[in-house]
Amino acid sequence: MSQTLSQSDQDSVAEGLAKQNGSTLGRLLGRGSIGHAESGSDGKMRAKVRIEPDELVWEPSIIVMPHGGDLELELTNDDLNTHCAVLPSNGDSQFIWLVNHSRGVAHLDLDGPGYYWFGSRSGNDEGRGLTGAIVVLGDTPEEARLDRPAQPRP
Amino acid sequence: MAVEDYVDAGVAVGQANLGEVPGKAPAVAKDVTYERLLNARSEPQNWLTYYGAYDGQRYSPLDQINTENVKRLAPAWVFQAGSVGMHAGPSTYSFEAAPIIVDGVMYLTGWDGWVWAIDAKNGDELWRYKHAVPYDVSLCCGNVNRGAAVAQGKVFVATLNAHVMALDAETGHAVWDQVYGDVRAGESATVAPLVIKDMVIVGSSGGEFGVRGHLDAFDIETGERRWRTYMIPKPGEAGFETWPQDGEAWQRGGGNCWITGTFDPELNLLYIGTGNPCPDFDGEVREGDNLYTDCVVALDADSGEIQWHYQYTPHDLWDYDSTMENILFELDGRKVLAHFDKNGYFFVLDRTNGELVSVTPFVDRIDWGEIDANGKVTPKRYPEKEGEPVHFYPGPAGAKEWTHAAYSPKTGLFYVPVQDVGATATRRRREFKESIPYWGAGVQVDAEDHAGSISAFDPATGGETWRWKRGLPMCASVLATAGDLVFAGEPTGEYNALDARTGEHLWKFQCGSGHHSSPTTYSVDGRQYIAVPTGWGAWAEGFLPGMLGARQGASLVVFALPEE
Repeated sequence: MSQTLSQSDQDSVAEGLAKQNGSTLGRLLGRGSIGHAESGSDGKMRAKVRIEPDELVWEPSIIVMPHGGDLELELTNDDLNTHCAVLPSNGDSQFIWLVNHSRGVAHLDLDGPGYYWFGSRSGNDEGRGLTGAIVVLGDTPEEARLDRPAQPRP
Repeated sequence: MAVEDYVDAGVAVGQANLGEVPGKAPAVAKDVTYERLLNARSEPQNWLTYYGAYDGQRYSPLDQINTENVKRLAPAWVFQAGSVGMHAGPSTYSFEAAPIIVDGVMYLTGWDGWVWAIDAKNGDELWRYKHAVPYDVSLCCGNVNRGAAVAQGKVFVATLNAHVMALDAETGHAVWDQVYGDVRAGESATVAPLVIKDMVIVGSSGGEFGVRGHLDAFDIETGERRWRTYMIPKPGEAGFETWPQDGEAWQRGGGNCWITGTFDPELNLLYIGTGNPCPDFDGEVREGDNLYTDCVVALDADSGEIQWHYQYTPHDLWDYDSTMENILFELDGRKVLAHFDKNGYFFVLDRTNGELVSVTPFVDRIDWGEIDANGKVTPKRYPEKEGEPVHFYPGPAGAKEWTHAAYSPKTGLFYVPVQDVGATATRRRREFKESIPYWGAGVQVDAEDHAGSISAFDPATGGETWRWKRGLPMCASVLATAGDLVFAGEPTGEYNALDARTGEHLWKFQCGSGHHSSPTTYSVDGRQYIAVPTGWGAWAEGFLPGMLGARQGASLVVFALPEE
């Protein structure tokens, strides 16, 4: 016998995907807020993320860079547990410990366009919700593009 | 809470700092000159370039390991790479590289932007470079990379997001970085670069996304681009007459160069194989022969200008890329090249002008069409009517995939990894949209009723000298040595040694995962090693769906005879 959840139950499930021990065990990835890196006069981009208490989530969990280049990312752990971060960067992935109530910085070099995941490897923080994305906007440099007329895109 | 109350977590550090990686390799690569690359086979202790030498033979003069003692071959060391974090194509990573060895140092690439310098004697990691690869990069055929090139103190690699990079061979630090493909158009890069003179040559991947294939050359010192040659001519260029004259098909024609070329320094000709036309299976939107897809193209190495071409499958309707190697050798004093094509035929061409010398089938089941002794192609079975399934042999992975054959000048034989598997394609026309796959069909490769072999061929006759039969297609590059041995890996994980003259099976070792790479051989302090990147994956759904669920892996297994 088939059964369909009511609209309010469906809404409740959706809300439960965005928190710990709700609809699922952890928080479903990719449901966080979006933050934008700021471009400095020195050519670097800068952004901040923090870990919310008991939420196991990066805030914001999607960081948008306007273009490829160097990102100085400040990381703050406001949680009552220890976490860390493994972050993408050309040359080598960057690692930082984030004990309870700590703050540090990572220097990242990313090409783009495209997006990259980062996360805390402690426990299964990555699966519980402490996985964020860095989105790099922009296009491939003109000299690398194909010699052809503009093509239709999705 | 006040900011000053926070514990100072400091600055993030590279993961290699937490991995006992010294970050320094001996300065052996600075003396790798063009002269040494020209004479690479005179240094049998090294494997200096992708195929071991410019001729593409994948043959080593080393003979310490031979038919008499190979039964004692055993692992000397293992290098395990693994995987960290969420990366592109997470279900498809595979170890496809050909390890390069220079005077005791191995330069190896992995999936997802990994490059390592390794002590070739004991497997110690000396330095690493990890390129950050976007999770959403378009990858038709897996998160893979086929190797590095080394010259004049630098290690050259292509990244999945279509950069070509020069790394300092002593430290792994980036020296220069050039973008040469458009990821927004669906381009990527998996090729092992080739150094010729003072240039590094790279091609792009993306033939399933309707791009316009090209080959690029860069100055090895500065990274400045020297030339780019498109493999699909535009209006006004030679070959454009083989495309619809009033349409847009040429703009999306494919013809990608995703496998390393071979080079004849006397002729100054670079031989590059080109990929399938696009859309792969819907030929009605691209009437004509569709040059220079499915070709060997001979280019002037200095200018990139096309000197001649030979098209192995005109107006391809079966995804029969011809990107795989064109092996240079002499036949009765004549400069020729050999090519085992996806379409199931073994071609020998005069490499001075592209004239056909011979063409013979090398797999049992071919029904897509027929190629006669004069090279005339007659298509027979192909997706033609919308929605009507058509089965054909070989399937789109080909009777031989990109993985390479070997040629032993000692035995005069070619050794070929053969895949005997069919597929069904059903034409489904679709509108082109940049970055979206553009096949023009639904395709299912047979998951049963398949076979494979390592087959030895005499190029003088085209005849098969011996065959080592297997129940599964053979999907890894073959290696031939002066020890009269042929090495070949199986999808089920066994790595094997065969007698090069008879095909007799002499030795095997279970590596724990299937083989889809290009093993190489070298020696350090007089001891010969066989280096075997092991790790099943990639687009198994295309070349062997019956093994789609086989164990994946991430290990380089290096064999040697026991020390006395």
